[in-house]
Formats: sequence, structure tokens, C-alpha cells
Amino acid sequence: MNALFTLAAIVAVISTTMVVTRTVAVHALLYLVVSLLAVATVFFTLGAAFAAALEVIIYAGAIMILFVFVVMMLNLDRDDADRENTWLTPRVWAGPALLSAVLAGELLYAGIAGHGTIVAAREVGPVQVGLALFGPYLLAVELASLLLLAGLISAYHLGRDSGRGG
Amino acid sequence: MTLGFGILEIVVSLAAMLSAAAGLTWVERRLLGFWQDRAGPNRVGPFGTLQAVADGVKLLFKQDWIPPFADRGVFILAPAAGMATVLLGFAVIPVTAGWSVAGHLNVGILFFLAMTSLGVYSVVLGGWASNNKFALLGGMRAAAQMVSYEVFMGLSLLGTVMLAHSFSLVDIVMAQGRMWFIVPQFLGFVTFLLAGIAETHRLPFDLPEGENELGAGFHTEYSGMKFGMFFIAEYAGIVLIASMITTLFLGGWLGPVLPPVVWFLLKTGLTICFFILLRAALPRPRYDQLMMFGWKVLLPVCLLNVAVTGAAILLFSPTG
Amino acid sequence: MDQTVVRSESIPKVRPAGSAPAPVQEVRDDVETLWVSRETAGDVLTRLKRSAPTRMMLFDITAIDERQRTHRAGQPDSDFTIVYHLMQFDRASKAPHREVRIKVALLMASLTMPSMVDIWPNANWYEREIFDLFGIHFSGHPDLRRILTPPTWTTHPLRKDHYARATEMKPYDLTEDREFAEQEALRFNPEAWGMQRRSANSDFMFLNLGPNHPSVHGVFRIVLQLEGEEIVEAVPDIGFHHRGAEKMGERQSWHSYIPYTDRIDYLGGVMNNFPYVMAVEQLAGITVPPRAEMIRVMLAELFRLASHLVFYGTMSQDVGQLSPVFYMFTDRERVFEIIEAICGFRMHPAWFRIGGVAADLPQGWDTLIRSFLDYLPKRLDEYEKLVMRNRLFKARTVGVGAYSLDEAIEWGITGPGLRACGLDWDYRRRHPYSCYDQLEFDIPVAQKGDCYDRVVVHIAEMRQSLRIIRQCLDQMPGGPVKADHPLTTPPPRAKTMHDIETLITHFLNVSWGPVIPAGEARACVEATKGLNSYYLVSDGGTMSYRTRIRTPSFAHLQMIPLISRGTYIADLIAIIGSIDFVMADVDR
Repeated sequence: MNALFTLAAIVAVISTTMVVTRTVAVHALLYLVVSLLAVATVFFTLGAAFAAALEVIIYAGAIMILFVFVVMMLNLDRDDADRENTWLTPRVWAGPALLSAVLAGELLYAGIAGHGTIVAAREVGPVQVGLALFGPYLLAVELASLLLLAGLISAYHLGRDSGRGG
Repeated sequence: MTLGFGILEIVVSLAAMLSAAAGLTWVERRLLGFWQDRAGPNRVGPFGTLQAVADGVKLLFKQDWIPPFADRGVFILAPAAGMATVLLGFAVIPVTAGWSVAGHLNVGILFFLAMTSLGVYSVVLGGWASNNKFALLGGMRAAAQMVSYEVFMGLSLLGTVMLAHSFSLVDIVMAQGRMWFIVPQFLGFVTFLLAGIAETHRLPFDLPEGENELGAGFHTEYSGMKFGMFFIAEYAGIVLIASMITTLFLGGWLGPVLPPVVWFLLKTGLTICFFILLRAALPRPRYDQLMMFGWKVLLPVCLLNVAVTGAAILLFSPTG
Repeated sequence: MDQTVVRSESIPKVRPAGSAPAPVQEVRDDVETLWVSRETAGDVLTRLKRSAPTRMMLFDITAIDERQRTHRAGQPDSDFTIVYHLMQFDRASKAPHREVRIKVALLMASLTMPSMVDIWPNANWYEREIFDLFGIHFSGHPDLRRILTPPTWTTHPLRKDHYARATEMKPYDLTEDREFAEQEALRFNPEAWGMQRRSANSDFMFLNLGPNHPSVHGVFRIVLQLEGEEIVEAVPDIGFHHRGAEKMGERQSWHSYIPYTDRIDYLGGVMNNFPYVMAVEQLAGITVPPRAEMIRVMLAELFRLASHLVFYGTMSQDVGQLSPVFYMFTDRERVFEIIEAICGFRMHPAWFRIGGVAADLPQGWDTLIRSFLDYLPKRLDEYEKLVMRNRLFKARTVGVGAYSLDEAIEWGITGPGLRACGLDWDYRRRHPYSCYDQLEFDIPVAQKGDCYDRVVVHIAEMRQSLRIIRQCLDQMPGGPVKADHPLTTPPPRAKTMHDIETLITHFLNVSWGPVIPAGEARACVEATKGLNSYYLVSDGGTMSYRTRIRTPSFAHLQMIPLISRGTYIADLIAIIGSIDFVMADVDR
């Protein structure tokens, strides 16, 4: 189990790096999908199969597809890719990379020192998730649903045909 | 279960799946021929049964051409992704109580949904990578259509899950001992069927291809075995959806007298024939009509189904 | 056939105020033919159009290169003559049928004509065609480009001094420079098509539908300007199927041109022979015997059935229904069995002859047809359930691609497409030709003029065709199938063995072809897709001096932009399917 976890985690890290460095938008998105799938695998190895499935369905299967959809409509070409290239100068990526490296080191230290043990504590199935969501976290669920409803209505409002004029 | 046996089971299942999908191309053409007052392929082998082999050989030997204007990597990845997701989807299908790769997975249905939702990438990326306007239009249609119908597909299954108290497909079949779920979950069955056709983008919902409008839609630029993979993935997708319908609504392998495997194959086969009959009979709706139908008819029906099923369970279940 | 001279009392109606009476030309058909000057032409046409309550359709515009014509007595001096052909469309079926031909003389020194696009929008393509093939300039035309020949073409093929055969020109060679130039000419430039690249908030997508596309029914290209899948502008591009059929008419004998007509509307078979031989017969003054008339009508109606069956099947195929087309092609095979038994050919029998038909009906023809007449109605009932009552089919076609009756007449729409707008106008009834006046049939109409209604009219017409064929079957008169006239080609053979005179005519008609008296005539029929007319000019030779083929599909395609703006691609496919055209009929 640990080997699978490590493998998935490495894939996640590598693909996320690729997301940042790709100049063709669709390629970056594809790596992002791979990264999400890797994270789903991590969840799975940790026993959270339900969360893993939702990660794939919602993030990889629905949200990222919409991103791809938008990129397809934008009709980006070679010029855009070149422009992306010029943006990726060391001055731009050095700062974030340094900070991430600090975080990575911290994580590594914690792992080696054994402060945060990586173990599959117990399997979290759909039943447990459901009980948790509609038990102690009921209020949060309802709030989230209200927020989503508001988002839905405003998206509908923005997307109406009135935008035709400009 | 040893690892070796597990691998053997996977290999056997995959081989069975792929040959079923290839054979299905022949079955479909013969059935269409029968319904359309013509012969269909009847030359290669007895009754033309080896037609699929001949087609496969032809596709394999065709030049493996990638258009110079295409995005090479993604162009190759797209059909492979389509094939992989469909085949992975089969992992959770229980052919019989004992024969399935991961039928006991406690999130079986979710795994299936996850794989179908990833299947969209194959079509969308194929359309994008071809760098062809017809393919792009096909890809965009596919993205909108399949993402929407995934929603209804997921929702249509909730009633079944509530009745069976489980996401595991084996448990769901077991729960149909007394009555197939097609009876209490008829609305769920109909919506799942429609969503299934839309997900496999088959006529009448084959808008991403829509040969009369878009040439060949998302796979306009594909030829040879890469086209073959799209082709086989589509047929494997039909088998997958038909197996899911059998498992979820038609009692899976359950049935009297005959061995369970035969029951499963029989039910799946008939469902597939129904898919083909739909293709022979119906015209294609327009893109906006399809989306309208999904969001304005299927979505409310699904939600109603979930609400009514939930209420019924609360009313009649002994535990309350 | 009728040889009435122009009714002179109608002239004042079209005379522009204050000018001299327009000279009337005698022609051998019943179309009032008037010469007007270039300056007054627009005025005359406007008056004719406004002469309410009738509606005038601009039926055709064409030109004649007069420079080598010898028999022009009484006509004004002209190097090139522009011919406007107008036709009246009335609601009242009792109103007298009226057609007017307006001619304008142009001299070589100034080959310019004011454009009539402002008066009739459908003048657009006709004027482009004349510009392309005759090199006559139309001032004020919004888009004067070549239409049938490629943009890199340099000559004007229908001019008399233009070669007609490959042997009259230098061998073709494609140099590298020329190839490059041809390639460059293909580069798509939206502005040249009257399109913008982007609007305020989006870039448009340009889609090249065709010339090779499963749903354009031949080699036909529509350039689409899209916003998403919505069509902002659609510009049809035709000419890929142009074979120079009109030019060939000037190099084939009157008789040997018949097979070429079959291939104009290649689904219509002998329906194409019909107007051609009638026009020649008018020029020659031949009266066709009744049996030949009825055989012609029967075969023409069989071909109408065959063509409509193809339309029906491909229409349902175009909206994505897989099966009906197979059933309908099977039925069409039954039609072809009959046609093959009678003519020996299936699609292009070239069966009509000047003065009759090629041979008498074979033994047993009646049983063949009778069994078919019993067979088809049941099948049509079945298709009604399969296609017309299918809710998805309705969803795709009802309300899609609709045009009003006024628009239809304005744009030169004829045939089922016109009758789908509620006007029961059928040439077979308004101006009966051959023996249609002896036959009973209804004129099916529909009201909304959308795709669905066009299909409805086609289907109802198939049932009427069956009715006509049954009457032909029951009332088939006896007698000869060829006219007893020296210009009948080939003449009835039995007689040639009796006297030297007929033997000589037979020999001449077969070897050189018949010499048709000088004159002009047009003959028009209600063809499968609309009005098809042949306007022939004879200079007293063995070949036609000018052959003008007015086809319905040409006019119908011109209307596509009007009815497809603002629809989706899928609607456009349904519209194209419902128009019922073949490209050979458009491009000729």
C-alpha cells in the first residue's frame, strides 16, 4: 500500500510541475487531470475510496472538461504559446519555486522524522461520508448548497443572451 | 484470491470484452441489414461472421497517418484514453456472483461513473487535437452533451442505490432477488437508458459524429487503427452500458433454470439489440433540442424519482 | 402545338410612358416578346412587376450572342441580346396564364446593362451567370463575380467565337506558376465573400461545407460564417458540376442533343427530354399523336415518382434517420424495373424523340404498372408512420427554413417549394401541355412553407402521380407513337420503304440531323423539382443556335442564405435536404 501511495504522490508532484511549465494550454490541462487522478489514487490508498471517486467524477470528469471546452473555444494558436514562453522567466518562477521547496522540505522532514505517520487509519466508505455530512456537518452542507444555488442563478443571469451586444 | 488468478481473470475478461465489441460490429450490421430489407455483410466466413476480423486486419494494415497540422501527442492519446476508460469501466461489472474483477468494490457505481466521465476526454481531445473545424465542432458538441448527460446518468442511479443500500454492484444484483429494479425504478431505468445512449454517442444522440452535419465529427481526421480504437471503444461502450442496465435494472445474472452466465449474457444481448433497433429507427435531434430535453425533461424526472424513492423508503422501511 | 402569334393588345400595358411602342417580335411559342431599349428596360420591368393584382416572377434571364445569327429579320440591331423572361403567378386558377419576354439589344461597343437586382433579388445569380458566360457587365450589381467557371477563368464560353471542343484549343498544360496562381485563388478570404472576421464580442468561425460533404447532394459548397453553431451568414458557391450543357447544345444536332438533357436533372430522366422535344416540335410545327403524348406523360410521372422517392429517403437520412432511405430506394427500383421494361434504360433513357417517343410500349407493360400502382400506396402509408409522424422528425423540420409566398415568388421558387407556401400553382394545370388537360389530378398544397411542408407536398404529389399513371393506363389511346411529319426524327421507318421522298428525309435526318426552321420557342414543364424550361433559338440549321436551359434548382439554391441565417448547422442540413435539388440541375 505504501509503495502505491508513494508512486501516486510522485506522479502527482511531477504532473503538477508539468502543469505549470507547459505553454500549450490543453497540455497543461491534461497534466492537471493526471495530477487529479494521482491525488484520487492517493485518497484511495488512504482508504477514502468515496472521496477518490468523487475527485475523479467532479474534478477530472466535469470541471476540467469545462476548462478544456473553454480552451477549445478560445482558438489559441502558436503566437499564444510563444507569448506563454516569454512569460516563464526565472524571475517569475523563482519565488514560488523557492517557497514550494521550503514546504516540500518541511513535508519530507515530517515524513522522515515520523511526526505525521502515513497510515490507512480506517476505510471511509460512502455510508460514513453520508452520515458525517448529514450529521455533524449538516449546517455546512446546507450553507454550501445555498452558495451553489446562488452561483447557479448568477451564472444563468450572466450567461443570458443579453451579452450579445457587448 | 491470488494475484495470479486475478490477473488471469482480468486478461480473460478483457479478451472477452474486446472480441464481443468486435463481434458486435458484425451483429449490428447484420441486424440493420435485416431491418432495412438488405443483406448486410455475409461474405467473409459463415454468414459473414469473420467480417470483424477482416475489418480489423484492414484497419491494422492501413497507413498510420497523423495529420501534420494535428497536435501529435494528444492526437495519439485521445483514442487510447477512450479505449482505456471503457475497458476499466468493465472492472466493476459482476458477470456472476463470483466472476468480476472488482464487483465488490464498495464504490462500484461511482467507479463506473468516474470512468464514463473520463471517457469524455477521448472525444473532446480527439476533436481538439485534429485541428479540423468539423472535428472541433464535434468535440464541443461532445463536451456539452456528455457532461450534461453524466449528471442525469448519476442521478438516475440514485434510486437504485437507495433501494439496495449500497454502491456495490454485486450487492445491487443481490437486492433484486425478489423483484428486478426495472419495476420500482422504471423512471430511473428510462433516464439511465437515454443517458447511456448519449454517453456512448450513438444514434439518435450521435451529435459529436453527426455524419450528415459534420462529416465524421470528432474523428474526421482519424484513420487506421486509431480510428479502429474509437470504433471499438464505441461498441465496447455499448456493451458496457448494456451490462450496467442488466446489472442495475434487470437483475444481473439472476434467473431460473439456466446458469447465471447465460442469463447475464442473454439480458445484455437483448439490451444491445434494443440499442441497435433505436439506431435503425430514429432520426437525430438537433443539438439544442438534445440539451433542452436533458435539462428540462430528464433532470426534473431524475430529481422526482430520487425524491419519490426516498419518501417511499422512509414510509415503508421497517427501521424508519 | 400552339404557334400563336403574340397578342398585340397586351403591348400598351408594358409600354413605358412617353416612349415609342415597343417593337413586338414574332416567336413560335405563346410568350409575348418585346424589344425595349437598355435605358427603359428597368422601367418596363418595374411596371410589369407592379402591375398588381398579379404577381410577376422573374423566371429567367439569359443572353444570346447574335453576331453569327443570319435569320434576324425585323429585329433591332444587336450583338448581344439580354432576354428577361417573366411569368405571372395568380391565386385564382381561372386567370389567364401570362408570360412575357423582354429583350434588350446591346452592341459590342458597350456591353453594359443596368442590374435588376433591386427589382427582383433573384436577378443576382442570373446576371452573374451572364457576366461569367457572355462577358456582359451589369452596372450596379452588388457582387459581380464569376459563378459557374472558376475565378481564374479568363474567357466567356458561351460567346460564339469561343471554342466548343478540346480539339479547337491548344493542349492544356499546367505550369508551376499557373499552378501556384490557381492555388492562391483558392485561399479563403472572408471579406471577398462579404463576411466579417469578428464581431464586437467574438471571432467568427468559417466553415467550408462542401464541395465534398455527405449532405450537400453533389459537389456544392456553402461557406458558413458561424458563431458557435449558429449561422451568421451562408454563401452558396456553385459551378463545380458545370459541364457546359448549353454550349453542347450548339454543337449537337437537334436529335443527338436529347441524351444530354437526361443528365441535367439526373434524377428526372425523361422529364428533361420533355421540354426540349416540345420546344423543338414548336419550332418545327410538329403535332405529336395522342398515344405518344400519353406515353410521355406516363413516363414523366413515373420519373416524378422515382425522383420524389429519392427526395423522401434522403431527406429523412439528412436528419439522421437511417432506415427509410433503404425502403424508398427499393421502391424506386420497382419504378426503374418498369422504365427499363419500356425504355431499355433505367436512369437516363433518352426515350423521347422529336415528334414522338422512340418505340411503342412493350407487351405486358400494363400488368407491370398495375401491380406497382397497387404496391406503392401501402408503402407510402407505412412511411407516413415511420417518417412524417415521427416526433423527432417533426422537431427537426417543422418551422425550420420557412419562407412566405411573397418571398418564394420574389426569389423564383417553383414546384413543391412554392406549393408548400399555399399557392396551388402547377404548370400542368395553368398552362396544360401534352395531354395533361385530359387528366384529372389535384394540386397538393401546404401552408407554412417550412421543411416539413415541403416534404408533405412531395408525398402528396406522389399519390397524384400514381393517380395520373392509373388514368394513363386506363385511357391509353391506340395509334402511332411518332408524328407523320418530315422532321420527325428518326421518321417512322415503315414508310421509308415505300417512296423515295421519305427515304431521303430519313437519310438526311439520321445522317445530318433534321433542319429545324428558323425561329425561337420555349417549352416549359412542371418537372420533378419545379419549372424546367428550354428556350431554343434556331437559325435554320441542323444544330441549335442557342439552347437556354432554365432549371428550378438554380433558383432554389440562391435562396439558401435568406432562409438559413440565424439557424443552426443541423437546420441548414434539413433545409438543404428539403429543397430537393441535384447539382447537375443547378450547374448544367
